[in-house]
Amino acid sequence: MELLKFRKVPSEKISLFLLGIGALSLIESIIVESPVIAFIGLSLTFWGVLFLFIKPVRFVRGTLLDFMALTPYSTVDRIIFDLNYKGKAFYIPPYPKEVYLPDHLKGLKDMVVFISADVSKKMPPIEDLAKRRFLLQHPRGICVTPPGLGLLTLFEEEIGKDFSEIDIDELPMSLSELIIANFHLARDIKLEILPKKARLSVEKPLYGSLYKNRELKSLRMLGDPLVSAVACAIAKSSGKIVMIEREETIENGERIAVTFRFVED
Amino acid sequence: MRFPLSPSDISLWIAVMAVLLLLTSEFLLTSTGFFEKIIIERKRLRLVALGMGGAFTFSVILHALDII
Repeated sequence: MELLKFRKVPSEKISLFLLGIGALSLIESIIVESPVIAFIGLSLTFWGVLFLFIKPVRFVRGTLLDFMALTPYSTVDRIIFDLNYKGKAFYIPPYPKEVYLPDHLKGLKDMVVFISADVSKKMPPIEDLAKRRFLLQHPRGICVTPPGLGLLTLFEEEIGKDFSEIDIDELPMSLSELIIANFHLARDIKLEILPKKARLSVEKPLYGSLYKNRELKSLRMLGDPLVSAVACAIAKSSGKIVMIEREETIENGERIAVTFRFVED
Repeated sequence: MRFPLSPSDISLWIAVMAVLLLLTSEFLLTSTGFFEKIIIERKRLRLVALGMGGAFTFSVILHALDII
């Protein structure tokens, strides 16, 4: 409904109208040498340009994002089901972007999630991560791209630095600002960093309705794109492997409570 | 035919615009409730507001140095 209201406001047309009237007033002010008309013209031109500059960014329906996000989860679900995996997902922190690595180790700069075949907490060897392998044998599991990596990249672009450069104690503040004020991805978030775990509570998250789909095992394992982006940020900032220990959805996805655990390799 | 505004007039106009924009951007950045739903590029607005403030300061400096 809000989107429909927004669609009805032709902000670009108003800007061009102001710009046109302003330009005409400026020309007239020069002809009749009137300071009053010049002030009016200057102001209208300025506000016309300003409205064009600050016009709303493109908005899409939230449900569209939900449906788009569902596809990668169902793909991961099919893989997990086919390989009969019953393990957990581990967010493995990558090497910081500015660190030099030779070409054959460049894969270590990719943020990946390791989904283990069983409940063991054995992590994949560094060689497999460097080779960007998908299917791993020792330990058995798969390495996939986190569903929240796109969001994480967007966050990093917004703040202009890598999360690995952010101190873990400053992370809750940075993420709250990004998620609530900058991108309006949730109404409120609370992130608490403890020595061995982190607790996240999200109120009215954008991807909340994804949780209505109870069949998606990978959604519980990896978290929705927002939770996944937070897990990636925690992993990068702390430099530790992070797993989602517990995920609780309240009131059909209106509130999500997640407990992350730091895994010592 | 000449432009009817003097540099001092333009400086005054910039000051008024800077005050208006700084107040608006500050209000929009900290607002909650209804005003929170106004969908504009708040950061750009703030940038323009700061730019206008800077332009006014610059014009005052030029005045003080008797350049304009």
